[in-house]
Amino acid sequence: MEGVRSDRASVFLLMVNGQIETADFPEHDDIYCRYCFVFGQDWVITSGLEEGITQMTRKSRDDRQAFVINFPLDVSFKSTNPHGWPQLVVHAYGLDIFGKDVVRGYGVVHVPITPGRHTLRLPMFVPESSSRFQQLLSWMMSRRPEYTDPKVVAHGEGREVTRVRSQGYVTVTLNVVMKDMKKLGYDVTPSDVSHPVMADSGAPLTATTAPSS
Amino acid sequence: MAEMHLIGQIKGASGFPDQSLFCKWGIHAGGAWRVMAGLREGQTQVDSPQNEDYAAWSHPIDLHFATKGLQGWPKIHFQVWHLDSFGRTELYGYGHCHVPTSPGMHKMECPTWRPAGTTREQIAQMFVGGGPQLRNSDLIYSGADRYHLHTLAMGKVHLELGVMLRNFDKYGIEC
Repeated sequence: MEGVRSDRASVFLLMVNGQIETADFPEHDDIYCRYCFVFGQDWVITSGLEEGITQMTRKSRDDRQAFVINFPLDVSFKSTNPHGWPQLVVHAYGLDIFGKDVVRGYGVVHVPITPGRHTLRLPMFVPESSSRFQQLLSWMMSRRPEYTDPKVVAHGEGREVTRVRSQGYVTVTLNVVMKDMKKLGYDVTPSDVSHPVMADSGAPLTATTAPSS
Repeated sequence: MAEMHLIGQIKGASGFPDQSLFCKWGIHAGGAWRVMAGLREGQTQVDSPQNEDYAAWSHPIDLHFATKGLQGWPKIHFQVWHLDSFGRTELYGYGHCHVPTSPGMHKMECPTWRPAGTTREQIAQMFVGGGPQLRNSDLIYSGADRYHLHTLAMGKVHLELGVMLRNFDKYGIEC
């Protein structure tokens, strides 16, 4: 029982909601996105969907040339350690002339570590073939190279061997709320840090007010 | 011990003379600092952007430090390299920046430079590529022996870093 209580005392919660708003791919006409959250071992999703898939959108026929996705994201996490902070991986797909799915880009961003509303613009990149022969082969088979596991873009190791081409953006807005971070001693914004000097000068004041309260 | 979490991304680079860029990065911190978890160095992907002068790396950083003192606050240092069509790499810039001391999200731009070399080396570089590199990469982040270097301006590295501090105020430290 004791273990359970101390465990509960060191847990903080992170609530994230928002939407995948728009996409911007100048060379393509149809786009849909998949998303997933990638997080460390200490993290658990308490509510919401870890991954999802959006509708197929077509580019607007006006000056904006925008894809509007307007896809809701709503997920809550709990953890004992900020290491392994969740990352949002978005991967976009389109259709080629044969109506087959082709990857149009991978993008990744950390969920912001500060509470509030954040607008994030993710550059979207696709992996390139590693050799000229592969390039020719993929052109003939009309298949692009893609990652077998999209979550690799959220990891720092093993990136040095990949060559990519960035070709668009996805815009995401996220609202972030946290619970019990300050209680566990974490400061995420400058105003959270309590100033010891101010606390000292305020000490006699609290001493005088303490008996009256 | 006070703890610090550094969570963010090396987002990309702009303003370099050519595309196909990648970056080798590392963290340098003083003796009082210890890395509890996370990668302290790495290398990004190679990006050749289709439409604009901005190489996207989106390279995640997630580090957990514990510290007994403030001296030697962590710095990040970069080497930006260019990969040409023959598969050769060429140095495009060195740069470093301190991890911000205040908690919160920070958008940062780190300017970079490269050693200029002699006139003869510069002419040779124009024809065959390559160029001088630092023999001792400590110079990227130390100010001690910089005075005999001649350098040229290169592009910028873009970062977004989140800093989270724990128990700093308990030890009376204001950030």
